[in-house]
Amino acid sequence: MGPFVPLHNISNELNLLIAFVIGLGFGIALEQAGFSSSRKLAGMFYGYDTTVLKVFFTAAITAMLGLIFLNFVGLIDLDIVYVNEYYVTSAILGGVIMGAGFIIGGFCPGTSFTAAAIGKIDAMWFILGSIVGILLFGETYRYWQEIYMSGYKGAVKISDILGIRDGYFALLLILVATLMFWVAELAEKKFKRDDITKEI
Amino acid sequence: MNTRVILSIIFISFGSIAAILPRQKTSSVRLDADELLREIKLETYKVTTDELADLLINLDPTLLLIDVRDSLQYSEYHLPGAINIPLKELLDEKWLPYLDQISKKNIFYSNGTTLSSEAWIITRQLGFKNNYVLEGGLNNWFNTIIRPTHPGTGATSEELDTFDRRKAASMYFTGSSAATDQISAPALPPVPRKQKKRVQGGCS
Amino acid sequence: MPDKQADTYINSKMKEKLRKPKKYMNPYAAGVLLGMVLLASFYLTGRGLGASGATRSLVIGGVTAVAPDHADNSLYFSKYLGDSQMKSWLVLEIAGVIIGGFLSGAWAGRLKFKVEHSPKITPKRRILFASLGGLLFGFGSQLGRGCTSGAALTGMSVLSLAGFVTMMSIFGTAFALAYFFRKNWI
Repeated sequence: MGPFVPLHNISNELNLLIAFVIGLGFGIALEQAGFSSSRKLAGMFYGYDTTVLKVFFTAAITAMLGLIFLNFVGLIDLDIVYVNEYYVTSAILGGVIMGAGFIIGGFCPGTSFTAAAIGKIDAMWFILGSIVGILLFGETYRYWQEIYMSGYKGAVKISDILGIRDGYFALLLILVATLMFWVAELAEKKFKRDDITKEI
Repeated sequence: MNTRVILSIIFISFGSIAAILPRQKTSSVRLDADELLREIKLETYKVTTDELADLLINLDPTLLLIDVRDSLQYSEYHLPGAINIPLKELLDEKWLPYLDQISKKNIFYSNGTTLSSEAWIITRQLGFKNNYVLEGGLNNWFNTIIRPTHPGTGATSEELDTFDRRKAASMYFTGSSAATDQISAPALPPVPRKQKKRVQGGCS
Repeated sequence: MPDKQADTYINSKMKEKLRKPKKYMNPYAAGVLLGMVLLASFYLTGRGLGASGATRSLVIGGVTAVAPDHADNSLYFSKYLGDSQMKSWLVLEIAGVIIGGFLSGAWAGRLKFKVEHSPKITPKRRILFASLGGLLFGFGSQLGRGCTSGAALTGMSVLSLAGFVTMMSIFGTAFALAYFFRKNWI
């Protein structure tokens, strides 16, 4: 019965080893997808490369369906699996700032590490920048504390808010994603930039 | 057929199946047969009539007696302070807060031990804790507490002590105030079992 | 072509083929792979992936090493001081990410030190913007309680509302601002 570590009192060392191996998979998947290239990532927002959308949605849907089916056959206890806690202001405001960081820097933390691993110097500067950014947040925390803590709604799931089953929402998301895949394909044709695509 | 089409077909098919799956509550706390047998062998889930008498006399606030016989038998006679959850209603939603909780000691009892043991096995298998069984049930209660028999001339001092205590208990329980007092079920359901702890995760 | 020249020609063509980096994986296949890793993470540990938390742990580690009292007194950082379990999990995960990325890059022949930038801007400008982007992302990931891996990707898979909202904020803003930074990319 999963999740293993919380339910079976796994030793800390084993837990960390699992973390490392999962990280390996994560890094390999990201690099193979091409996410160690900032120009490929940024392509999402200019239309010439929609890999981000395809990988993102495919991954989320795969994991989502996996969880639903594992839960159904009694192999995982979804009450224990982590669900992000919703703080309204944090989520929105933090997201906006991150969005700006994304289009300006061309990376997100996970991909910056993958890119730095294959030698991308701009990714290394991104990481340095994020270290400073975190320090900045920590040092000026008292100004943000109230905002940071406001609007707490708990670990809310969308299916609960809409009053539908998890699987039903998954289907809705799949249909939306399928539509987006087609739109992405069209966008790549319309905003084609062979000169960039060939280099990244 | 390109990847996109194949993938979409696979996703939509699985998604459709997922959409019609019922909301399954997978419980990680259920016991399997081995664990259940182990607990049965330990016998720690049994409460003797003497122990129950002590709890009642001391007015232990954590005690909750649960009569698992049918409502007719319950109305004819029940132990002081007991509530009635007929065995066939055991898994009804409304009884869940009483059975799945951590603040009270629930003691199932019936005339003998059959029904109460059945109730215990079912609730224990579901992972509920703090439920016990009155050994021997009401029959044993009558024979040991209400009408205790003298252990006889070759008795040890221990047995005589027990007998004395039982006699005192008998007087307590059959005194004018206790006998006819059909106390109804407590109003508030006990504190529900603490939620399974969610794992901490994400980037925060 | 005379024989010797033909040989050299063929050799150099072969060498070129070996040096050329492999193509990227099909995005959908990569997505499924990533989804499987995420699912494995849930099944084994009950939690999903994360990245910004690891950077934060590095920062806290650094602060603690340089000025331990400051870390204790800091309103924000002190929250994570005792959290050694969490801290290590993410750090080890990121170590895996780095090594995994490296291995994948090595296998595909994509290892190369370079500043990747659009030919229309200078490397220096790219580095400047990369640092600025990192600063914003670092700050935003703390405020937003996660980044695209932890909040958006992991969050979406467990159907968390927070995950969706964060994801939409990130991508919405990036799209909205794309026009203003187009010179850097296209």
